[in-house]
Order: sequence, then structure tokens, then C-alpha cells
Amino acid sequence: MDISVTSVITRFCDPVDISDHRNNTAISAATKTELGHFNVWGNSLAAEYLPAGGSLVHVAGIPFQFPPVCDGPDNIRCAGQSLRVSTGRYDWMHVLAAAERRCEDIVELSFVDGSVDAETLRVSDFWAAPAWFGELKAFESPVMHYPHHVQRFVPAVMWAQRVPVTRRADLTGIRLPRNIAMHVFAVTLQRTEATA
Amino acid sequence: MSTDRQPQTFMITGSEPELWYRDLISCLQATFGSLLIREGIDPLTVLGAGWRFLHLPGDVRSEEFYYPCEPDESGNTDVGAALAPHHDLHSRWWCPADTNDLWREVRDTLADDRLVIAAVDNFHLPFRPAYSDVHAAHLVVVYGLDEVRGLVYVSDAMPPAFCGVIPIEVFSRSWGSANPTDVQDAFFSDSQIGRRCLDVRLSAKPPVLTPELLGEFLRVNVTAFTTATSARTGLAGFGEFAAELLNRCRAGDVTVLRELYPFGWGMQAQASLHGELLRRCGHEWSDPVLAGAGRAVETVAHAWTGLRITGAHGVDDPGAVFADIAHHVTVLAGAYASAVDAVGAAAERL
Repeated sequence: MDISVTSVITRFCDPVDISDHRNNTAISAATKTELGHFNVWGNSLAAEYLPAGGSLVHVAGIPFQFPPVCDGPDNIRCAGQSLRVSTGRYDWMHVLAAAERRCEDIVELSFVDGSVDAETLRVSDFWAAPAWFGELKAFESPVMHYPHHVQRFVPAVMWAQRVPVTRRADLTGIRLPRNIAMHVFAVTLQRTEATA
Repeated sequence: MSTDRQPQTFMITGSEPELWYRDLISCLQATFGSLLIREGIDPLTVLGAGWRFLHLPGDVRSEEFYYPCEPDESGNTDVGAALAPHHDLHSRWWCPADTNDLWREVRDTLADDRLVIAAVDNFHLPFRPAYSDVHAAHLVVVYGLDEVRGLVYVSDAMPPAFCGVIPIEVFSRSWGSANPTDVQDAFFSDSQIGRRCLDVRLSAKPPVLTPELLGEFLRVNVTAFTTATSARTGLAGFGEFAAELLNRCRAGDVTVLRELYPFGWGMQAQASLHGELLRRCGHEWSDPVLAGAGRAVETVAHAWTGLRITGAHGVDDPGAVFADIAHHVTVLAGAYASAVDAVGAAAERL
């Protein structure tokens, strides 16, 4: 797996601006673990093992705009939010995501002709779990932050997952799952190469 | 410790218990899994063979290891039989009979070369993340007792995973904890540990799992899901459970979502193991219909996530999350119906 921090945006990919929808803080500093609330227990990923906030990161060649780190909300806890995208033809919706326990739920893709396709977003648990849905492990903190301490030997994982865009029409928007167990840190759309 | 005998060491023979873990199971399945491995049995073939829905109103306890079991005529429950309805796996809860000799039954079990599953409060266990922080009822495996050096040998497959010794006095605090109400854990605190232990016995070694045998299991499971009973079982029982859940949420009953999380864990864990077993067998036996049925059952497990987590975050205000709870109940009901249909179709071919 090729994971590198770089300033070069891969040619066929468009990171989606999700900054207006971030509503949850899942990453915390070791000195402020109480500020993280990824799950109901107040666990969070350790900032020191993750990329710099706002940096452009690549996971298996896909560029993602990494969220702010220790500077306010860093992810979308999914509750059916609608994301606007640059209208265009895409093959894949890529996400950096993690779940509060393994889950799968519906993403709605809206197109310029008024059609809507339901696809499934599948995300594995962030808490010491395998990639049950075949995701790539994008980033991992080898320790888990608890509200009052840093726990060794319990890793916290952020996954790189993808959802197909099968309709041969221009995508206009994405509606995230109505499922607060799912957390999305970044979204990137991969354009259809023939029309890029 | 008894005063009329010399301290001794009691240890199971062979190596320490093998840890067994899946991300959707609880300490209940993990501890049973370790015991089954020691018997030379693949835990998935036993713990994943059954698939039921059972809700017992008023029975849910705030413990990680809660699992619904209908009591027999004497009021005793058999968690082993509930976890593995197709196998001769049985268990009974016990507590020390002699308050002057709390370790007698543990010694006897270890001397019989059998493992002990013990209830504990995480707050007192140095290897648990909740140590000195959060009270929560949990299960561990005890595989040795060294009275000479004052140590208990403990195995725990749940992350961060532990296998080693802790002082007897530390274990005793955890084993005998009142597990008081803890605002940091609304789901697994407020349940007296009471030095409970599980005595687990496998009466007969399971036969080799063949397509024919699995087919029998699946037909029984599907019948249980599609046959209405006086208890809240099967698809009809899920409907009754869901209706009560929604009514109590709408009424703002603050206890309803505290119960949902521990109750749902058992149902979710069971579905995840059953789905994994079917998918694995389908793959090994080149039966894509069976594999697909397994995946459908896993979808049930995944749908439990949305319901349990929505309930957990809304625990203090059920009315505010009523609409989202209703949404996830609808999703889960659909997942159950689809999975029962898929398993039924797979069973007919085995």
C-alpha cells in the first residue's frame, strides 16, 4: 500500500469539500484526550500518529484532504447529510472513514437527470478490528485515547473505503447514511477516465 | 482463604488458554471460545451453529455478558445451551458456597483440569482499559491459582488481550465488586458481580460438520424464526420487541435504551458468528447459495450496529432519538426477514 503525504493532486481525483458538515471530534492530542468523542465511551484516535491537519494525503494513489487535527470537529458523524459535489462523471466515491462497530448502510447518489442510486458504504470498526469489508488501512494509531488516559495495545484505525458510481450520468450530490455509527473524515471522487 | 489447609498451586495442564476473539462478540463468546479450543474444537462451528431471536422482557442485566436464556422449572439458566442449541454445551452459574473458603470451587475445578469463567468488574483489573476509571461487568477465564505466591492466572481475549497473573487480592476485589452505578458506563455498571462463575461442560464432542448436518441445524433455526411462540422468539418476537422498544422511546422511558445496548450485543454477536460460519462453509464446500446466506445473516449483525449505537448515544433522551431508532428498527427487521429467507433457501439444498 502506497501511503504518502504530498502536495500533488492525482489527475483524475477531486477531493470533496466537507468542511461545512464536520460535526464530531475523533482525533485528540495525548495531553487532551478528553476532547475526543469518536464513540459513546469517549475514545479517540491519537493525533501524533496521524498526518498533519489539512494536509493532502494519498492512500493507494487516491488523494484525500485530511481534516483539521486538534482544531475543532474533524469528521462527519453520518446523519443523512447531503454533500454537494462538482457536477461530473465519476466512477468511484472514495472515503476515509471508520465505524463505531462494524456496519454498512446506504449512500444515495444524485444525478443531473434527477435519478438517485442507492449504494452501500461498508466500514469496519475503528477499535482493534480487522478490515472486515476489505478496506485498506489508511492510518492507524497504535494506542487508543480514553477520556482519562492513553491505552497501549488497543489500536485505532481509519479505513480507506470506496463506493461505486455505476450510472453513466453526471453526479451532482451525495447523501451520507443515516447512521451515526459511521464517521467520514474525507471524501474524494474519482472521475471517469474517458471523460476526464 | 481456608485456614485449615496448606496453600497449594492449582494449574490446568498444558499451555495457557488460547485467546479467541471477533470484533462483534463479547467476553461471553470469547470465554466460551477459549474453553472450546482447549477441548480441541473450533469455536465457530459450535457457537456459530445456532441462530435465534429471543427477548425476555424485564430480564436484561447491565453486563457485557448478558444473554437471554429462558429459565428451567427450577429457575436455573443454561447460557451454554442458549449459545449452542445444537450441541451438548451446558453451563451453570455458581457462587462460592462457603464464605470462609471462597476459592474452594475454583480449586476443585482447576484440579479437575477445567477452566473457570469468572465475572469481574473491570474497574479493579490492571490489564483492562477501564482500570481505576470505569465500573463494568466483564468475564475472564481463570486457568490457575497459586496460593503460595498469592496469584491468580487470568486470560482475557478482549482487547487489549491479557494472559498472565494478578495478585489474589486484586482479583478478589474485582470478583467481589458491587459494580456500582457509574455515569461513564450506563450499560455495564450497576450490576453486582457477586463472585459469580460459570461452570461449563461439553458433554459430547461435536460430530464433524457436514453439509447434511449443517442443513439440519439451519432448518431448525429457520423454523424457530418462522414459528410464533408464547415467548418473544423469531421474527414475530422481534416484532413484539421492536414495538415495545418504540413505544417506550416515544414515552421517554429512560431505561429502555440502557437495556437495548447489552441485549443487542448478544443478538449481534450470535448473528455475526452464524453468518461467518455459513459463509465459511459455503466457501469451503463451493456452495455460493450458502455463502450468500451467511452474508445475509452478517447483514443482520451489521444492522444491529446502527440500532445499538443510535440508542447508546441517545440513552438519556429516548424521545429525541425516536425517529432514528424507528428507522434502524425498520432496517433491522428487513435484514432479519431477508436473512431468514436466504438461510431457508440454502438449507433446502443441504
